Amino acid sequence: MTVHDMKHAASDSARLEAVGGRLSRVDGPAKITGAAHYAFEQQLEGLTHAVLVGATIAAGKVTAIDTRAAETAPGVLAVLTPDTIMALKGASDWFGNPPALSTYCPLAREVTFSGQHVAAVVAETFEQAVAAAALVKVWYDETPAIVDLSDGKAGDGIPIDAMAKEWGDAQAAFAAAPVRICAAYNTPREFQAAMEPHGLIARWEGDELTVWEPSQWLDGMARTYAEWFGVPFENVRLVSPYIGGGFGSKALALAHSAVAAAAARMLGRPVKLVLNRPQNFTSYGGRAATRQTVAIGADRDGKIQSIVHRGVNETAVDGMWVEPLGSVTSIMYATPNFSSKQNVVRVNTVVPGAKRAPGENPSAFGIECAIDELAYELGLDPLEMRLINYAEQDPHAKKPWSTRQLREAFAAGAEAFGWAKRSNAPRSMREDRQLIGWGVAAGTYPVRRAHGEAVVNILADGSVEVESSSIDMGQGTYTILAQTAAETLGVPVSQVSVKLGDSHFARAGVTGGSRLAGVMTGAVHKAAGQALDELIGLALSDPRSPFHRLQANTLVVKDGRIASPRGEGPELSIAELMSVVGRERIEAKGDTLPARTTPEERYANYTTIAKSIPHTEGDYSRHSWCAHFVEVRVDEDFGTVRVSRVVSALDSGRLYNPKLAESQWKGGIIMGIGQALLEEGIVDRRHGRIVNGNFADYMLPTNADIPDIQTISVGIPDPHSSALGGKGVGELGIVGVAPAIANAVFHATGKRVRDLPITLEKLI
Amino acid sequence: MSSQTIIDPPEDGHFRNGVATNGLTPSPTTLSLHLTINGRDHALEIEPRVTLLDALRERLALTGTKKGCDQGQCGACTVHVDGERVLACLTLAAQVEGRSITTIEGLADEDGTLHAVQAAFLEQDAFQCGYCTPGQIMSAVACIREGHAGSDEEIREYMAGNLCRCGAYPHIVAAVRQAAQELRP
Repeated sequence: MTVHDMKHAASDSARLEAVGGRLSRVDGPAKITGAAHYAFEQQLEGLTHAVLVGATIAAGKVTAIDTRAAETAPGVLAVLTPDTIMALKGASDWFGNPPALSTYCPLAREVTFSGQHVAAVVAETFEQAVAAAALVKVWYDETPAIVDLSDGKAGDGIPIDAMAKEWGDAQAAFAAAPVRICAAYNTPREFQAAMEPHGLIARWEGDELTVWEPSQWLDGMARTYAEWFGVPFENVRLVSPYIGGGFGSKALALAHSAVAAAAARMLGRPVKLVLNRPQNFTSYGGRAATRQTVAIGADRDGKIQSIVHRGVNETAVDGMWVEPLGSVTSIMYATPNFSSKQNVVRVNTVVPGAKRAPGENPSAFGIECAIDELAYELGLDPLEMRLINYAEQDPHAKKPWSTRQLREAFAAGAEAFGWAKRSNAPRSMREDRQLIGWGVAAGTYPVRRAHGEAVVNILADGSVEVESSSIDMGQGTYTILAQTAAETLGVPVSQVSVKLGDSHFARAGVTGGSRLAGVMTGAVHKAAGQALDELIGLALSDPRSPFHRLQANTLVVKDGRIASPRGEGPELSIAELMSVVGRERIEAKGDTLPARTTPEERYANYTTIAKSIPHTEGDYSRHSWCAHFVEVRVDEDFGTVRVSRVVSALDSGRLYNPKLAESQWKGGIIMGIGQALLEEGIVDRRHGRIVNGNFADYMLPTNADIPDIQTISVGIPDPHSSALGGKGVGELGIVGVAPAIANAVFHATGKRVRDLPITLEKLI
Repeated sequence: MSSQTIIDPPEDGHFRNGVATNGLTPSPTTLSLHLTINGRDHALEIEPRVTLLDALRERLALTGTKKGCDQGQCGACTVHVDGERVLACLTLAAQVEGRSITTIEGLADEDGTLHAVQAAFLEQDAFQCGYCTPGQIMSAVACIREGHAGSDEEIREYMAGNLCRCGAYPHIVAAVRQAAQELRP
C-alpha cells in the first residue's frame, strides 16, 4: 500500500506520522480511486451466482416447494431447498458454547420470521439466478405470528437474572423521595444499514475453504465455517481486506453464508451470494426494539435518592439477544439506592444483533431523558442537574474510575456551545415560526479489552510489514497500526505496509465494542519492539556490522537510520545494515496473552468472546465518556424537527489519530440523529413483515439532514485501559445523542416525546 | 444510442442460451455491445437485462463502482454518462452504448495525479469505510460542474442523493467546498 503524498512539508511529517498525529488514511488512496477491492469483488474463474428465496410468512411450516420451473430456467445449476442442500453440523455460539443441535440446515422448514431463507438458486450469471429465484413456488401452513413487542400475544417475556442490578432499597427510597418522576421510553427496531450489503464468495479446493466475506471477526467466522463443514480450523481462510461498514452486523457467519459455502461445496465451483437490500433487513438482526421505565426519586435540592429501572427487549422465537438496558442507568449518576431488571420477549423476528453501542445506546436514551425530566420537575438547569449528581466513582462496581473526564466534557461542550445563554423554560427561544430548543445529554461506553497479537517483519530493503487478521471497516486500523509500527521502530510511515483482513495472518479477536484499536496498537507496539530489539541486537553483535566494534549498549533508529545514541560513529539505513549482515528479514510476533497460555486458550481467545477482560477487572472501572449539546429547530406549524447545531465533547482517552477519531465520533453522532428523528423498522401487523426494508422507506440521514458538528477531545491518556492510553472511540459517539435531541425538542416545544423516532405527528 | 433491437430473438429463431421457456418469461438473447468506459472501448456479450452496474462489476472487473442497494436509493453506483451523473444500477448497459462513461477508475490522470475532488476527500477525511465514496466523488465532481457547490447549504442539498452510513457528511461538504474553490476557473 502506498501512502499518498500529502500537502505538508517534510518537517511536518514526523508530527503527523507519530502516534497521536493527524495522518490521513493510508488506505485512502485505494478507496478514492476505486482500487480497493472489497471482499466479494474478487474476480474468480468459473464464478457462479446464488440468489435466496425468502419466506413470505412470519410463522408456520413450509409444506412444499416447487422448483421445476426454476430448475429448467436458463443458466440454472442448482435449486437448493431444505431437502436438497447438504447436511451441515451444528456450530458453537460466539461464547464457544457447543450447539444445541448436532445438525444445521440454513434453509428453513419451520419458519420463525418473515424473509427467512427457504430456498436458493445457483446459476451461471446473477441475472439468471435472480430470474429463476422468482420461479420458485413455496407453499406454507401459516400459523399466527407475534409481530412485535406490542402484539397482544407477546406477554411479559423471560426475566434475565444476569441483567439484574440492585443496591440499597430502591423501591422504599423512591416512595419516600419528595420529588419523583416516572416515565416510559421506547426505541424501535433499528438497522445497521451498512452501505456494503452482506454477502460472500465461497470457494472449495479439496477440503480447504476460502471465503471472501466482509467480516468484523475473521477468526470467529472461520471457526463457524470449520465447524459447519467438519474441517480443521486451519482449512478455512477468511479474506476481508476492506469492509464497507459493519456497525456490529458483520461479526458472525450467518445462514446465507452457510448456503453459499454449501452450494460451492455441492457444485464444486465458487459461489457468490450477495443479499439484496431488502434481504439486508431480514437476514440478520438490527437493534432490538426496547421498552424501559425509569423512576427517579430525589431530594428537593436535586440529589438523587433512588433509581428504579425496568427494561424489555425483543428477541427471536429461536434465538436469544439481550440488549443490556441497565448498563448506563447503573453508572451515570451517584445514587444510594438502585434497582434494574430486564426481560426479553420472543417475537417472530430474525435474532436481533449488535448495532452501534448495543445496550448503552437505548439505556442512555432512558436515563438521560429521565434526568432531564427530573431537572424540569425541580426547576433546575439540566446541566446543573447532572453535575449535582456526578458519580465520583462507579456506583455499581464501587470502584474508582480509571479516568472520567465527563465534568471536563460538560464544561468544554457548554462553553463551545454557549449553554450559558440558554433560557431554561420550554418554548422560550424562537426565531419567527421556528421554536428553538437546546438540549444536553451524556453518554458512555465501557472499555472492552482483550488480548491480541501481531506480526511485524523488517525486510531486506528496510521496509516494514505489519500483519494481523484484524480488520479496517473505516475506523482507521491500517493507519494507526502503521503509525504505531513506524513510531516504535523509528521509520517513516511510508516504509510501513499494513496487511489486514486475512485469517492466515496473526490471530485477532472480534472487532466490536471499540476494542480493536487498544488491543492492536498494544500488540503491534510489542511486536515492533521485539523486531527493533532484534535489529539492534544484530547491529551490535554481528561481526560484519560496523556497530560491532563500538562496544555500545544500544543504538537508536530514527527516520529509518541506525546510529549510536550520541550520534558518534557510523550511521546506516536499515537496508544497509540488513545487507552487511546478510539478513533477508527479521520476523517478530508479539502478543499480549498471559505467559503460559496454552494453544487451546489462544484459540478460544481469538475465536470466541469468552476471554474478554471485564472493564471492572482489578482496581478500576474503565469507560469512555461524552457530553452532547444539541440545538433543534421545530417548525411551529408543521412539527418538523431539524438539528441545526451539535457540539460534543468526548473522552476517549488518548487518541491514536485525532483526524480519524473525530470522523468516527461524528459518524456516531450522525447515526444518533437518524435514530432520534428518522429510523424505525415498521412491521406489517398481519404478516410480521418489515415493510420499509429499503433505503427509501427506512430513512437514513442524508447530507441535507446534517449540520456542522463540532467535536472536542477532553480525554487524557488512561494507562489502565490500554497499552498506549486510549479508550474506546467508535461506539461512544452515538450514545446520548438521541436523548440530547429529545431533550432539545422538549425545550423547544414543551412536549416530551419518549418514543423514538421523534416524527412530526408526535409533535402536532 | 444503439439502434439494435434488444427483444427480438436471433434470425435463426433459437435463443443462444438454447433453453426453452415457460412462455411467460421469454428467454433473453445476448447482445454484442461496445461500451466506452474511461476512454477505452470494451466489447461485451451480455443479456439485455444486464445493468450498467453489473456489467462494470461482474463482466469488466471495474469494481470501483459500488452496489449498495441496486434500487436507485443510495447513490453508491453513481457514474458519469456524457459527463452527467447517472445511477448505474438503474441504467441498462445497452442504453449507454455509444456514450462516454466515466467511472471512479477513470477520474485521476493517467500518471496517477488525483482529481481535485479525490485529493480533497483524502485531505478532509471525507470517508471511513469507503464503500459509498466512489459514488460520492463522482457525484461531487458533477455537483461542482453543475454549479451546485456555491454554498455549504447548496452542497448538502445536491449531495443528498448519496447516502453515507459512516456519517462522513460534514467532511464531504468540506471536501466539495475545497475542491470547488480549487477548480474555480
